[in-house]
Amino acid sequence: MPGRVNRGDMTFTSLQFGLFVAIVFGAYYLPPLRRFQVQLLVLASLVFYGSGQPALLPLLLLAVLGTHLCLVLAFDNRAIWMPAGIVFNLALLAFFKYKFLLVDASTAYPIGFAPLDFLLRLPLPIGISFFVFHNISLLVDLTREKRPPPLRDVFLYIIFFPQLVSGPITRAGQFMPQIVPKQLANVDFAEAAKWILTGFFFKLYVANNLNEMTSYMDYPLYETVATQDRWLLVFLYSYQIYADFFGYSAIALGLGLLFGYRLPVNFDLPYISASFSEFWTRWHISLSSWLRTYLYIPLGGNRKGPARTCLNLMIVMTLGGLWHGASLSYALWGMLHGLLLVVERPFLKVLGEAGPVVRVARMGVVFFCVTMLWIFFKLPNFDHALGYLAGMFTPTDNPNPTKLFRNMALLYALPVLIQHLGLGALASGRLRRWEPYLYGALAALAYLEAGPEAAFIYFQF
Amino acid sequence: MMAQMSGLPWLIRCAGAAVALLLVCGLATARFGSALQQPSVTTRDGSLITLHRYLREPVPDIVLVGSSVAWRLKEEYFSLPRFRNLALAGGSPVTVLEILAKQPSLPKIILIETNILSREPDSELIGQFSGRTRAEAPFLRPVRAAVAVHETWNHAPPNAAQARAEQDRLLREPPSMFDNKAYLELALRQMNEGEPTGPVRANVARVSELIDEVQRRGSRAFLIEIPFEAGIEDSRLVTMSKAIVQAAFPDQSPWLPINPPRGELRWADGVHLDERSALIVVRAIESALAERDGARRDK
Repeated sequence: MPGRVNRGDMTFTSLQFGLFVAIVFGAYYLPPLRRFQVQLLVLASLVFYGSGQPALLPLLLLAVLGTHLCLVLAFDNRAIWMPAGIVFNLALLAFFKYKFLLVDASTAYPIGFAPLDFLLRLPLPIGISFFVFHNISLLVDLTREKRPPPLRDVFLYIIFFPQLVSGPITRAGQFMPQIVPKQLANVDFAEAAKWILTGFFFKLYVANNLNEMTSYMDYPLYETVATQDRWLLVFLYSYQIYADFFGYSAIALGLGLLFGYRLPVNFDLPYISASFSEFWTRWHISLSSWLRTYLYIPLGGNRKGPARTCLNLMIVMTLGGLWHGASLSYALWGMLHGLLLVVERPFLKVLGEAGPVVRVARMGVVFFCVTMLWIFFKLPNFDHALGYLAGMFTPTDNPNPTKLFRNMALLYALPVLIQHLGLGALASGRLRRWEPYLYGALAALAYLEAGPEAAFIYFQF
Repeated sequence: MMAQMSGLPWLIRCAGAAVALLLVCGLATARFGSALQQPSVTTRDGSLITLHRYLREPVPDIVLVGSSVAWRLKEEYFSLPRFRNLALAGGSPVTVLEILAKQPSLPKIILIETNILSREPDSELIGQFSGRTRAEAPFLRPVRAAVAVHETWNHAPPNAAQARAEQDRLLREPPSMFDNKAYLELALRQMNEGEPTGPVRANVARVSELIDEVQRRGSRAFLIEIPFEAGIEDSRLVTMSKAIVQAAFPDQSPWLPINPPRGELRWADGVHLDERSALIVVRAIESALAERDGARRDK
């Protein structure tokens, strides 16, 4: 559940965060401080992280310093220290993310050994899945270089605050070369503003308002919802999770640009994908690329025959599902995506040559399947997810079903539809001169129609 | 310098458009008031709409304050003229009692639901609706306003006769057979958790002070207890709350005992009455009030 994560006060949509960015931005380009730009961003990132989880700052430092140590040692012996660094990071991830598979969370002293019990009682560190993946990328990419990067650069790459909590997962090879002195004159304010305003609009207007409705998908609230509305809610959640994560990623990208760093684009209209393999090149692109580069290809990719390719796809997607959390629902979500990739593989070539009608039909099928699988994402408790699915095919006998304002749901989901139908592209084409006014209207609407505050869904990962 | 030079006019136009739209929405609110801030899809929205409406309209004769338990007793179920339900879903009765006590005029009768007294009063709402200048929502929310207009247009409330006929039809139907086991278990778990004794004591003490205050000003306040499902009645929160309220108000005079036929009542989500049951409870409240009124006249 998103709300479970201790977010502190400084989320992207808070006033405190706006002030924080303004102060850091002002100091960053001050001529006397220009020599210390990297250090300033590192300090700001530590403040940002510490404002949410001060108790876990030492863990973040341990992760960075441990990775840096392995990185330096790997220049002497890559065969030992690179795997050691990867194991160190995966152990951190496994400990914090999957510890409750082995110990009982409800007991105060699960082991009986004070230091270990203290660690077990620590909450899930925000963004651990993301910074661990950064660390692994660093160890794999940079140990091939001639010399290790300075510690301050390693720090910046791992904890750069726009991407620290929920990505995008930037590859070290893409980020490290960007660490050079930055000039205010080179900042493209219009582009940064476009990303930030789009992100805020999608988060505040679309995701937060839809969240109000999709909260009825939670157990046992969904029991009060009429059968046809259970179907509607699944589709609304599909739009919500996109708007939420796309919104976060867009804000992160815009913030990165303000400080002179170009983070990778994380979404490319995923719901118009005509195949599941295309979907994964458009949804959470940075995670898909990471998994492909550091897991699928090392496993052999598609180079070892069709059977091994299918197995590799299943392994990667199942692990990708488990990366989100230690629950059967996440594993099944990943596994089913893997299965869909495997099943569609033999037909891709034939279907790829079909006409536009078939392509539209394929888009519909892919969107429908992806949307249905989000149920396992929304309801990590497997029994609840199955209960919800069963409820979609069972008429409810609740005498007072929850009233959903369907017209309002449509109005709040509309931006996702417009964006995917390509109408947004008009603004950058024929209607280009109206573009600033459109973004101004989006900003005003994001403020006026902002839904109740809700944590970014991906904060929990 | 190139990026900045091209970016500045863009940013100015963008900010100009945002400010213009905000101005239009601000002026629309100034012209139409907060009546267009509907429909409410959050409990907060609902509270704001309820309180704005109370302060905008003439003071009613009877008001009901409480939590979501009383919120289910819809105004249209009451045949009493000039009745307002000011119960706040997810709120405490103390919140509205505080707001009422700070108004220049009071209703003749204030009914106070005592079922849920563990929630802190909402000081933000109290501040917002207690001062001389009431904080109206500064901007019209265009999407919600459009939906509100559409809803009002397409789902206008039935007239009194139609509503009464619909209520009679509902009462002729048998009680619902909906299986609420899952909700009941969850509600029980929540009501047996935590240690809310402190907030309940503080709320009861404040209710007592506020009752004294409104009664001094000529209003009559009655405490009412809306029936819960048997399992919920035995939960820790309910038994503890009842004990504290009974100890604070041992005399029966401030209580308005209502006796709806319990066998007819259903709680669809384990805690809140379904529509038919709410109607039955409303009728029970009305007859209890009539009885109390009759007894008063006999004296």
